[in-house]
Order: sequence, then C-alpha cells, then structure tokens
Amino acid sequence: MNRFTWQSALFLAPATITLLLFAYWPLLQDVWLSFHSWNMVSPTMKFVGLQNYLQLLSSDELIKILLNTVLYILVLVCVNFIFPYLLSFIIAHRLNRFSFFYRSALFIPSTVSLAVASILFLWILNPLAGPLNIILSAIGLESPRWFKESGLVIIVIGLIIGWKVFGYNLILLVAAMVDVPKELIEAARLENVSNWQLFRRIIVPMTSSTALYVFVITVVFGLQYVLVPVNMLTQGGPDQGSSNLVYIVYQYGFVFFQTGKASAFAILTMLIYALFLIVKTKVLDKKVHYEN
Amino acid sequence: MKINSYRDWYWHILLLLAVVIQLWPLLFMLSTSFKTMDQIFLSTLNPLPAKPVIDNYLYVLKNLPLVQYIVNTLLIASSITLAKIITSILAGFAFVYYEFSHKEKLFNTLLLTFFIPITVVMMPNYLLISKLGLLNTPWGVILPQLADGMGIFLMRQSMRNIPKPLLEAGRLENASPWVILTRIILPLIKPSVIAMGIVFFINSWNDYFWPLLILHDKPTYTLPLALQMFISAEGGSEWGIAMAVAMLTALPPLLLYLTCQRFIMNTFMQSGVKG
Repeated sequence: MNRFTWQSALFLAPATITLLLFAYWPLLQDVWLSFHSWNMVSPTMKFVGLQNYLQLLSSDELIKILLNTVLYILVLVCVNFIFPYLLSFIIAHRLNRFSFFYRSALFIPSTVSLAVASILFLWILNPLAGPLNIILSAIGLESPRWFKESGLVIIVIGLIIGWKVFGYNLILLVAAMVDVPKELIEAARLENVSNWQLFRRIIVPMTSSTALYVFVITVVFGLQYVLVPVNMLTQGGPDQGSSNLVYIVYQYGFVFFQTGKASAFAILTMLIYALFLIVKTKVLDKKVHYEN
Repeated sequence: MKINSYRDWYWHILLLLAVVIQLWPLLFMLSTSFKTMDQIFLSTLNPLPAKPVIDNYLYVLKNLPLVQYIVNTLLIASSITLAKIITSILAGFAFVYYEFSHKEKLFNTLLLTFFIPITVVMMPNYLLISKLGLLNTPWGVILPQLADGMGIFLMRQSMRNIPKPLLEAGRLENASPWVILTRIILPLIKPSVIAMGIVFFINSWNDYFWPLLILHDKPTYTLPLALQMFISAEGGSEWGIAMAVAMLTALPPLLLYLTCQRFIMNTFMQSGVKG
C-alpha cells in the first residue's frame, strides 16, 4: 500500500474540508449559541449560561413535543420498517412471478418530492371536496379535519412520510432477503415449518444487519423528513399539535428568532441521536448476525 | 422445486393492494392536473378526465416564471450531483489506495456526517451563507452540499471490490495515482457512479428545506418551493393548477427512475448498503 503523501491529502481535501466546515463546525457553533441569548440580527449576544437549557427542560411544551415525536416515530416504524420487512419476505421468497413488477411499482413514490407529497395529500385529505371525504361519506362516515385535530395530525403526517419512504426501505430489505439461500428455505418447507417459524428462525437472523440499518434510517431520517409536511401544511399547529423535536428548532430559530433556545433544542436532538446510535452499535450489534 | 403457481394468489392480492395504495395518489395527481375546475369538483373520483384539458399547464406556463424555476432547480441539482460525485470518488480513492494513520477514524468521521440532522447545522450554516452574501443565490444552496458522507462510503465500497492485481499492474508500470484512478478504476466502477449520481440528483431536485432557508425572492425559487404558493390557509381551490405544478416537479425524477430502474435496482441489490 502507498504511504500518505501530499498527493493523498489532495484527494481527501475537498470532501473533508466541506464536511468539517458544514457539518462539524456548525455542531460546535450550536453549543456556543445555546449558551447565549440572541435574536440572529442584533450585533450583541448575551451570555446566559445554562438558562436556555433550563427553560427548555422546565417548559410545558417539552412533554407535548416529545409525545408528538414518539407518536410520529411509532407510525414510521410500523409503516416504514415492520410492513416492508414482512412484504420483502413475501416478495423475495413467496412468489414465482411478478416480483420485479411489485418491487418497481412500490418504489415509485420514493422518487417524489416531499413537497409534492404534502400538497397532494392536502388535496386528497381535504375535508370538504377531497376524494377521501367523498369515499368516506359514500359509506356514511364523516371526514375528520385531518390537519386540524391535535393527536390526529401528527399521525397523518407520519402516514404521508410513510407513503413516500416505504418503497425505498422495501428495496433495501428485499436485497437482503434475496441473499438468504433458497435451499435453506426449501429445506424448511420440506419439514413443514410454518411461515412464522421460518421467518423467526431463519429470515430474521440472516437479514438482521440490513434490518438494523433500515430501522436506524427509518428513525434518523424520518425525524428530518417531518420538517417538510409540517412546514408546508400546519406550521406546527394546531396549538403545537404537530410540532416535534425537529420542527421546534426551526420554529425557535427562524420564526421566533430565539437563536439560543433553538440551539439548545438542536443540541438536545443531537444528544438523543447520538444516544440512539451508541445504543445501536453497542447493544444491538452484538445480537446481529453479520454475513461476512 | 416450483411452488404451485396458484397457491400464492393471496400474496398477490395483498401486494396488489399495496401497489394500489402506493400508486393511486399519483394517478389521482395526474388526472386532476388534466381536469377543468368543474370536473375536479363534480367527478372527483373519476380517474379519467371526461375531456382531458391542458388548460392548467398553459395557465402555469403563462402566469408563473415556470421556466425560470425549472432552470433554477436543474442548475442546483446538477451542480450538487456533479460536486458530490467528484468529491466522493476522490475521497473513496484515497481511502482505498493510500495507507495512513487514523485512516479508519477519519473515514468514520466523514461517514457519520450522514447522521447529523439538518436542524443541527441549519442555523450556523444559514449565518455563514448570509455572511458570505450568498442568500438568494443558487450558490448558497449548493455550497454546503459539495460532499456527502454516504457517497464516500459507496465509492470506497465499489473500489474495494476491484481485484488487487489490477491496481498492482498499474503501479508496476509506474503509473501515477491519477492515471490509475481515471484509466483503471473509473471504467470499472462506472455503473455504481451513475447509480449514485441518479440518487444524488433525485434527492437534490426534490430538496425543499435547505432551499427554503436560503431562497426568499420568488425568481430564485426551485420547483418544490414554488409549490408552497398554492397552499392557502383554507386549503385553496386551485387544485388543477396546483396538481399541474406538482406533476412537473415530480416528473423528472420519475422519468429518470423509470428509464434507469433495472440499472438502479441491480446496483442497489449488489452494493448491499449494509450498516
């Protein structure tokens, strides 16, 4: 192998400099900003120590925001992890024909912008003239005001994101399922093992590394995707009913111009992310079966 | 060892149901965009417009600087894609070709940026872009996105799969690293580079949030930002026009995917993105 030279530094420089400058440096700046009180335009900044954090932790808002976040993530884990996991098994090992068709067709919404998805579902879910309302009233039900009811709104937003991300995660999982040797599954079939047993004893252990990866991106990216529909459709409302750990940073930063509080929330998010990733590597990786 | 062809019919029903749920909204968007206002409200559910009209498209072409939005989006998405491809290839190459201390640490540091949420970086990056005077310019959107942690990971992965003797041969002939990269490695990993590029392009074309922070003047908007204009407090009623703009925003990524899908799927299947 070749030793490190100025040449290798040249190859590494563009990516390294960009990522340090626009990903790690902001992280440090956030820490600094979170100890200050500032409105983004004033020339002076006031050092307030831990005040931003204390206010954040003692506010009534926090509970609501965390609950919304948890509810949203539960929806995503169902729609973008559990469903695609089960379906990918069926597509890879329970079909003789059309598996390529299903894969391609189900993937299509993943190419659509979240901005498009948001406006599209705003129309589909329109409580007066929207198509879903027409279907519901045809069977004698009244359409709820999907984006105006606390508790419901965050679930609906989760489902919109779920619609978009589903196909992408499905493809990743099918790729892992295909790697499980057919012989193993045939052997199990000859011994009359039930589908459920087959899934638990063979499929889950043999696909666990990809499954874990998909689980992590479902949570980590799902949390960031929420920004688009929330900002386009509800701005966090009604009464913070669709706000969450990620959107609140935008609200404090760019709507209320309380940079310090926004940074404190950003750091809190980052800590939760980091904790999540550490738990993932430390605890779960031990139980995961890696093929190579 | 064929499974009886008719035994799996219930799986097909389940999957077809999933296909309907996934595709119906898009068909609905397509058909609404070709309906007149009357048809939109009178035959909402009918997927085929009685008399398809292109009025909605003509209206947006005439009343919006749509061409400008398309050019803006295209410029931003292509620049980001090109930059990310180049920086990822260069860095991926360095990680495969050179040996240096803390190599793994540096690699993991770069890869981890993939998991840093946009909310953490958005305020400091916004302040930096505004200090540089790049607000309301495409460059302000592009600059923070010149590199990609996942891209570096994917390029290193594909270059690792190249048989070592091929690289050794180049080295024995005293070829420079640059020649080895461009003459030996790049032709071999071309499929993964293109597939990665397609994914980068679709993602930047669709991006909404970072452009929202940087681009405030209407003439600088990208297509996803332009969609925002059709959302009024009470939900608005110009659905035909809104769906026409939504169609135009969704179409390029969709066509790109449909024409290259076998290729993208195969790369996905082989590269095996494994955490």
